[in-house]
This record gives sequence, structure tokens and C-alpha cells, in this order.
Amino acid sequence: MNLSGILVVVPPARLDAAITDLSTLPGVEVHHVDPATGRLIVVQEADGVEAEMAGLVAIKARPHVRLAEMVYHYFAPEGEES
Amino acid sequence: MTSLTRRAFLKSSVAASAAATVGLPVSKAVLAQAKTAEAGWAWDKAVCRFCGTGCGIQVATAGGKIVATKGDPAAPVNRGLNCIKGYFNGKILYGADRLTQPLMRMKDGKFDKKGPFVPVSWQAAFDEMERQFRKAYAEKGPAGVAIIGSGQYTIQEGYVAAKLMKAGFRSNNIDPNARHCMASAVAAFLQVFGIDEPANVYDDIELADSVVLWGANMAEAHPILWSRITDRRLAAKSTKVVNITTYRNMSSDLADLEIVIAPSGDLAVQNYLARELLARNAVNWDFVKKHCIFATGPTDIGYGMRPTSKFAYDAEKDIQAKELENTLDEAEAIGQRRKAGEKVAQKSRASAGAHWQITLEEFKRGLEPYTLDYAAKVAKGDPDEPMEAFKAKLVALADLYADMKRNTMSFWTMGFNQHQRGVWVNEQNYMIHLLLGKHGTPGNGAFSLTGQPSACGTAREVGTFAHRLPADMVVNNPKHREITEKGWKLPPKTLNPKPGSDIMGILRDLEDGGVKFLWVQVTNPFQSSPNANHWLKAAREMDNFIVVADCYPTLSGKVADLVLPAAMIYEKWGAYGNAERRTQMWRQQVEAPGEAKTDVWMMLEFAKRFRLADVWGEKPLPGLKDPAFPEGRLPDVLAAAKAMGYSPEQNLYEVLFATPENRKVAWPDPVAKGHGNATVKALGESWFVEKALFEEYAQFGRGHHHDLAPFDLYFRDDVRGLRWPVVDGKETKYRFVEGQDPYVKAGEGFNFYGGAFKAIPTGTLDGVTDPKPVPLPGKAKIFFRPYAAPVEQPDKDYDLWLCTGRILEHWHTGSMTRRVPELNRAAPSAVLYMHPKDAEKRGLKRNDTAWIESRRGKIRMVVDTKGRNQMPRGSVFAAFFDESLLVNKLVLDAVDPISRETDFKKCAVRVTKA
Repeated sequence: MNLSGILVVVPPARLDAAITDLSTLPGVEVHHVDPATGRLIVVQEADGVEAEMAGLVAIKARPHVRLAEMVYHYFAPEGEES
Repeated sequence: MTSLTRRAFLKSSVAASAAATVGLPVSKAVLAQAKTAEAGWAWDKAVCRFCGTGCGIQVATAGGKIVATKGDPAAPVNRGLNCIKGYFNGKILYGADRLTQPLMRMKDGKFDKKGPFVPVSWQAAFDEMERQFRKAYAEKGPAGVAIIGSGQYTIQEGYVAAKLMKAGFRSNNIDPNARHCMASAVAAFLQVFGIDEPANVYDDIELADSVVLWGANMAEAHPILWSRITDRRLAAKSTKVVNITTYRNMSSDLADLEIVIAPSGDLAVQNYLARELLARNAVNWDFVKKHCIFATGPTDIGYGMRPTSKFAYDAEKDIQAKELENTLDEAEAIGQRRKAGEKVAQKSRASAGAHWQITLEEFKRGLEPYTLDYAAKVAKGDPDEPMEAFKAKLVALADLYADMKRNTMSFWTMGFNQHQRGVWVNEQNYMIHLLLGKHGTPGNGAFSLTGQPSACGTAREVGTFAHRLPADMVVNNPKHREITEKGWKLPPKTLNPKPGSDIMGILRDLEDGGVKFLWVQVTNPFQSSPNANHWLKAAREMDNFIVVADCYPTLSGKVADLVLPAAMIYEKWGAYGNAERRTQMWRQQVEAPGEAKTDVWMMLEFAKRFRLADVWGEKPLPGLKDPAFPEGRLPDVLAAAKAMGYSPEQNLYEVLFATPENRKVAWPDPVAKGHGNATVKALGESWFVEKALFEEYAQFGRGHHHDLAPFDLYFRDDVRGLRWPVVDGKETKYRFVEGQDPYVKAGEGFNFYGGAFKAIPTGTLDGVTDPKPVPLPGKAKIFFRPYAAPVEQPDKDYDLWLCTGRILEHWHTGSMTRRVPELNRAAPSAVLYMHPKDAEKRGLKRNDTAWIESRRGKIRMVVDTKGRNQMPRGSVFAAFFDESLLVNKLVLDAVDPISRETDFKKCAVRVTKA
């Protein structure tokens, strides 16, 4: 299991729509929101790096998303179930 | 805790840590929970290992392994963010196919070039390396051995490699992969300013009103800097972003103005802009008169190909012949004030970098042909765009540059550097910014970005190039050799004055038998170099011995004779220097797996095997012609060495590295805070190799415009790298500017103090009229450089342009980013981006497989007609990361004749349905 914390920036006026939209992506949960600046922290769970990258590319491609970059990456050692 | 609740707990901890890292408000309770999740982890600052941006990261270790990484909130470069490549920083150490023991081609218990790889001990590996090195060295002398390194070298690795080769083996055949990436930028810096590296800093992004990208798809190649540009664009409504490119890419999404140009059209557009600045009197004459002169150079400089067709495939011979004589097409003839159809012998191939001062009137005369009509005709890159629309864009671009009220930053990387006239096109951008007086000041400058993490800090500044010595010195300058010999405590005339082979030269040397021993370090040249079929064959079929030190099996490893397992980034101590002169260091965090060892250790162990008597006697050096040296020979310096107290029986490790001074730098050292040191441990020594060698190297630059801080300062908890020159513990933001740069005196305003090429002859656009060098202290040069047509262009047989480059998820040749196991399983292979009409014309549609063929080779790829890169008709694009689809088999090995950097951006191909 790999987890990553991702900063997503959307226009503040689109915040609610973006939260709803991002929450539909597989493995993605919206955790923290700063309504004033349109900044969100989402956590993405994925099996491995390839899926994490594909997930981040998908987030970047969502409507309203101005910026999405990884901030924090936790990865379980090979073969170890967390 | 059940695995479900543990997972939920971890997720909220990751979220809390991420939020805190980028400054989102989170409650104390949530933060406390994150701390609990991280209990037992040790965090330490480090640097991302992937690109030249130089992002600061934090690395967490637990139980001897890296368990997490995060953007460093205190890092001014990235402010807590990582880009997509950041996913690899930790995980990349743990790929299933890490190399963990030396592998040698063997048959019947002995080395055999035709044998399969067999695991061997380090002892056996070094024994064979030594045998093969001695054989090549005895037969060919210093020119018969070579190292290919890279901008992924740590500063210390590059320093050891350069010193071992240049001072020890007296060979200048060491060249980095950075030659493929930065050499044109370097030559332009030296010709324009007399000193390498940018004057500006990343902080300028937040101060810019106009941001102009020249052939740099920053959205994919430099995402963190792009995020800063995005922020600026959205925060300050008047900010305009221009994307000048040969195809529509991700950077166009944000751009206010997208200008699709034809290959080499940049040369014409920049001269049009300069002509406009003069016509509109938008020139900062006060600045220009005080701080600049005008210059130009020869145009008949060839294309850096071989001058002989002996090694060319039949299909290559027509292009190769242009190396010696070219026929001008109409666009080139107008741009160079000549006649179309004129045959031009390329007489200045050997003096391509020569240049001389011209008058302002001559400069203006050079620009005269670059009207809007001409520039637009040459540069329009999309055949479906109406001419008038394209012209309007060029005018809009000129409006932005000419607006004296706007702060203007121009950025470029490979689009300019990987260019048959890469030095010229770099110089043209300085031309524009210098005419405007907008360079090296807050929010204003022409800024060359870099590809690899220490292309600047190591390859360039340490001098792991075939012609360079530390701190911008060069081997063919007697004074520089003398300074270096003194610094390295070498007898006079130990250093070889003849520049060695550059990276393409080394590969060509393998093919023609000139080089017989090659050591490849931290790079993958058999994949990353153009016209690959030649060099792959040379590696396997010629009588030579190729050593590849790497962490993973790469294509270069596959064609090698001996593969050495290397320690990776956080398994060793290191230092990198980024594109804004920021030097950053990290401690070793974990131990390398199996028998993998640091590159520094490998070189030091190898150095132990050679006595001074082996290397400092007289050595043949064919082609050496230098008044201070016997013809074709490096002199015996053993007697002088004896007089200095050396014994001929001493080995290179003792003489060059474990010197009495360096041994005084003790390990363990409090700066390590308990972290290990794999190099010291494997050597069984008690001196701090990386610290001692850094301090030794730094002596060359201190007091000479390149001051690096003391080693320990970089490890202080509150330091996130320092931008050199660092004088009295203070970093420098803007170079050459009074009040910012400690080397500029009060009252000078600006001082372009670089010392290279600062005395040049005088002449006209057509040549030198007075050869007497005129000194130009403190001045920058504004070059006139004309349009030159690409040497290979689409024709009836090969009817499409091919451009190659990077994509977001992959970096380097994929040797890092393609390694993580799950990536290998399902990663999409490189695709060929093409215009839907071009595809349709060839009976192709999206996801079909096509053959792509050039004069040099043929590969199959999958066609994409509507992905992230949208090609104009007539052009196709392929990424170079995929080892199974070796795009470099197609690419022409023409190089910029001044910088010797390859042009990966333009050659001709045909595409057919497979």
C-alpha cells in the first residue's frame, strides 16, 4: 500500500464541485480544505508507483484543477501489509 | 489496531503532514496524530535526485530503510511541493532488479567479450579492469582511455573522476552526458559573459510580467517551476505567458500566446525581435553603451558530423557530405546576405567558436534582412495557420519584449541547447535581454534552465568536460593548467593541454578503434546518444573493454563487458548544484544493498592500482601541437615529481586523494550526526572523503567568482542550499549587479567580470579586419548570429520532421523512472505523436503500430494523434525513455560545432503502417 498527500488548487468558487468530483476518483479522499485559497489536501491510496502516477495525472486533468502536485509519499516496504 | 483502522489512521496522518508542509491550517490534535504515526522515524533534509530544478525534500528512515519522503516546506525552490517524479525518490532504492554484485562477461572462468554475464567478486572485477586499462593505455596512451560521466554525478564524484583522469592518467577523455544537454548554454555563457552559469534566480518568476518559454515545455519538464509560473499568472492578472514551441504541448494550456515555429525558426524570430527593438528605439542605450559591445563569428562552421564518409551507412552519405560543403537554400541565403544555391565550403569547422568585435552599424546591417515577412516565412511552423495570424503573433511577441514597463523573463532548455546552432540561439536571447538592459535584475533576465540535477554543480563547475578544469578553467590555457597543477600539487606539464574527445567523439572513437577502454558512470550513453546503431555495434564488435557502473541494468549495461553495482543517491554522501547556482548537500541515509558500492570508492580503489611510474612517464599523444610540449608527446614528469617529494612507487590514491591534508579531515565527524559513510567504511579509512574532497575542490573557486561555502554550513539545520558566490557566509542572488554581487564594486552598476574570451579581434560581418585582440574588461557581448538551415530536412524520401524529448512521468533515459517493478509491468511504451491528417494519409489511426525510419535506423511505435502533444502537420514527436523502442537509432548525430552538443530535435523520418 502506498499513500500520498497531494496539494490540489482550484478556484475558490469551484471548491464544492471540485471536492465532489475528486472524491469520485478511485483511492482518492479529500482531507483538508482551505476555502479562502481553494487549496485542498487529498490523499491517494494506490498499489504502487505506477498507479500513483496515473492517479496524479488523472487529478491534474480534472475540470477546475489549476495545480496538483505531490507533497508527501509514504510507501510500505515490499511484501509488507500495513 | 485492525488493518482498516491502521489504514485510516495512516491516511489522516499523511493528510495532516502534507497540509502542514504546504501551510494549510490544521489543528494541533491532528498534527499530534501525524507525529504518532511517524514515531520511530528519523527525518533528514536531502535533495530530489531527478532534475536540475533542485527541489528540497525530507527523507524519513526507519529500521535502516527509507519509508517516506516529502517536499521540504523550508526549501525556497519548491516550498513543500514535489512533482510526479518525487514518487521515485524513496521507492527507487528498492527496485527488484537492483544490481548487487559485479557482473562480467566470462567463458571458461575467464573474461570473454562474447561470453554471458557472470557474477564476480570486486577483486576479480578490478583485476580485469586493471588488465584491460593497462592494455589500452600501453597501446594508445592517454587518448585510448575514456570516462563518460553525467550531470547526475555528485560534486565529489565528478571531482574524483576529473582529477583521476586529468591529473592521474593525463587523459582529457572525460565528458558528461551533460554535453548532450547543457553544452550550448555553457559556450554561450562563456562567449557572452566570460563566465558560466546564470545571473538570475528562480525568485524572478514571482516578479515577472512576461514569461517567455523558448522551446521549453516546462509544464512537463520542470513542473515545480511551472507551478510557480502558474501561481504568478493567476495571482497577477497582467502577467502574460508565451509558449514558443514546434508543437502544441501542456505548457500551451496556460499560455496567453502560443507560437508554433518551424525547426530552427527561433534563429529568425530572435533577429526579427532585435530588429524591432532597434526600429522602435526600445533599446536601453545607456546600459548598452556602458556595459556591452557587439560581436559576430564565422558561419561556415559545419554541423559537427564526421568529416569522412568512411563509417557512414550508404543512406547517411548525402547528409554527411554537407559537413564539408553545403548549398544554401533561399531562407539561409537571405539571412546570411548571400545567394541561394551558393555552395559554401565549411572552412571554419575547426574555429567555429572564433568571434570578433563589430560596430553597431554592422550589427544593424546583419539584422536588416530579418523583416516580419522574412521571419514569418522562415519560422511559421504550422502549415494550417494563416500567415497573417502567425505574423500577428510575432508582432505581439515584439510588443511584449519592447514594453519597457514589463519585467521580462525568458526561459529555455533543450529546444535551444539541442540545436545545430545552439550556441547562437542562446546568444541571441542574451542579445535581446542585453539590448533591453533587462538581464540579471529582479524579474528580468534570460534564464537557461537545466536538465540533470547537477549538470551545473558538477559537470560544469567541477569541470568533467573534455576541455575543462575546475571553476571555469580550461585545459588549453597554460595559466589555467599552472593554477590547477599548483592546486593539485602536480609537477609542471603533468596536465594534458589537448582537449579530449567529447561524448560523441568518444563514441566515434569506439567505432574507429581510437578508444579501447571506456568507463561509464551514472549515465546511460548507449541509449541517450543519437545514431545509436553505430555505437551499439562498436561496443559489442570492436576490440574494446566497456565498464558500466550503475544501480540498475540499463541498455549501456547490457552492451558492456563489466557491470559494477553502484550505490544510489541516499546510500552515499553527496552534493548537487542546481540551475540557479544553489549548492545543496545530503547525508547518507541508508546502506546500499548487497555488494553495491559508491562510485567514489570504485575510483579510489582503482587509483590504488596505478603507481606514478605507470602514468607520469613520457606518453604518446597523437596530434598534440603545443609550443610548450614536444610534438605528439606528454613529457616525463617523474623527475620533477621526485623533486617535489613523490616516489615513483606511490600510487594515485595516495598522491591525488589520500593526501596528508585530506587525511586531516577526520571521520567520524559531528556534522554526520551519527549517519554512516559507505565510502569511508569500504576503504577502511578514517578520513572524511566527501568533505575533504569538497573542500579541496572549493579552493579553486574561492576568491575567483565561484565561492562555495564551507562544507559544514550546507548541513546546518536552517540552510536549504546556498547560491554561489557565497562570500562571508552570504549567498548571491543576482550576479554582475552592484549591491548584489560581492565582486561588483560600488559605482560600477554592472560588471560582467568573467574572464574568458575577453580580448578579441575586430572585424565586420564578413570577417576579421584587425587580428590584434582588444581587451573588453567588464563587458558583455551582444552577438549577431544569422539564421542557418538545419542540415537535414524533410524531403521526398524522409518527409516528416522528428523531434524527441521528455514527458512528464519519465526522466533521464528511464533508468530510474522505469525501474520500479509495477512500472515495468504495464508502463505504456513510448508513442509517436502525429497530426491526424498525417496519420490518415499513411493509412494510420490512433493506437496503430507504425514503422518510423530515418537514414540511420528503423523502429516500430504506436501512433497517438490526440494526446498531450499535438503536432502540426509535417512533424512527429517521440520520447526517448523507452529502451525497447530506441528512438536514438533514428536521430542524426549532428552537433553544434561550437559546443559539440547534439541536436536531438530535428531530423527527417518517414512513417509507414507496420
